[in-house]
Amino acid sequence: MSRTEQHYPREADARWRDYEWEIIPTSPMPPAMNIALDEVLTRRVGAGDRRPTLRFWGWDSPVIVIGRFQSVRNEVQIENAAEHGVQVVRRITGGGAMFTLPGLDITYSIYAPPDLVKGLSFPESYAFLDSWVVDTYRELGIDAWYAPLNDITSSGGKIGGAAQARRFGAVLHHTMTSYDMDPTLMTQVLRIGMEKLSDKGLRSADKRVGPLRQQTSLPREAFFHALTERFMDLTGGELGEISNLEHQAAVELVRSKFSTEEWTYLLP
Amino acid sequence: MHGEYKTPGGKLVVVDFEVRDGKIVEPMVSGDFFLYPEESLEHIVGSLVGLSIDSSEEQIAEVVAAAVPEGTEMLGFSPEAIAIAIRRGLA
Repeated sequence: MSRTEQHYPREADARWRDYEWEIIPTSPMPPAMNIALDEVLTRRVGAGDRRPTLRFWGWDSPVIVIGRFQSVRNEVQIENAAEHGVQVVRRITGGGAMFTLPGLDITYSIYAPPDLVKGLSFPESYAFLDSWVVDTYRELGIDAWYAPLNDITSSGGKIGGAAQARRFGAVLHHTMTSYDMDPTLMTQVLRIGMEKLSDKGLRSADKRVGPLRQQTSLPREAFFHALTERFMDLTGGELGEISNLEHQAAVELVRSKFSTEEWTYLLP
Repeated sequence: MHGEYKTPGGKLVVVDFEVRDGKIVEPMVSGDFFLYPEESLEHIVGSLVGLSIDSSEEQIAEVVAAAVPEGTEMLGFSPEAIAIAIRRGLA
């Protein structure tokens, strides 16, 4: 694998300390709740009603998360997904489809004021906002680096991908990384076309990914622990939680938007 | 019709559309690209409606580029990528 690394100006690292951060630990929830919370918390941070926040996601169901601009039919084998109880949700950021089972991914969102990434190009901002994760993975023995535009990758294959939205007065940056995977089920529920692989040589679909589990014997919990520790060291942040108000707002958004066919099949 | 193009080192763009009276109708542009602001997609899609199927790649790219609102960031794709996907769909 060629090693094209995305860099950013290292002096940006000092900016994390410009804010008081809150860290919300993972807890299992319905797929659409994770998407709705992204909108709610981005709005709250953008309006100054919440401190800048890092939230770890959790799932109570197998899920395919498709990008804001993806066509469901082009990405998902809809009947197979339904048969295997895999929910399909559309997130509010661009980028590609990700498939995971509960307990196999490490996914998080950063909700921050735009000033955190001021003056950085989009590619730089992606690498900057995920740098603490790449550093943590390296510390835990994974030969990881950031590949443009939005991939955390490694000598063992792609680990995960990030996506951003700049809306509601804030930056939303979220990243799904794969701790472990079910490659057979993945090829049954996702569509991976030849055109998508066209500039990636002759590697097959499941060889493009290299989940952490294939590269370490550490349990998934060790990664959550190390990531939380590192983010606290980096930012001086402390643990927090989703408020009742935010939870209610997200439940309402699930009902009115993110669980509707109109949203999920926005691009059929 | 259905055409796909992946920008080398970039993202996939897919254009699905129908052809009526020699013109493109009901276009849908999708893919794993990034676009800021998101609403710019409507302008891009709108510019494709009614395009002659005899339009060259360069002509399609020009029409799309002219429709992209100022200040829009297209990451991983471009008007040219959309034009290639359409020409492929028509091939």
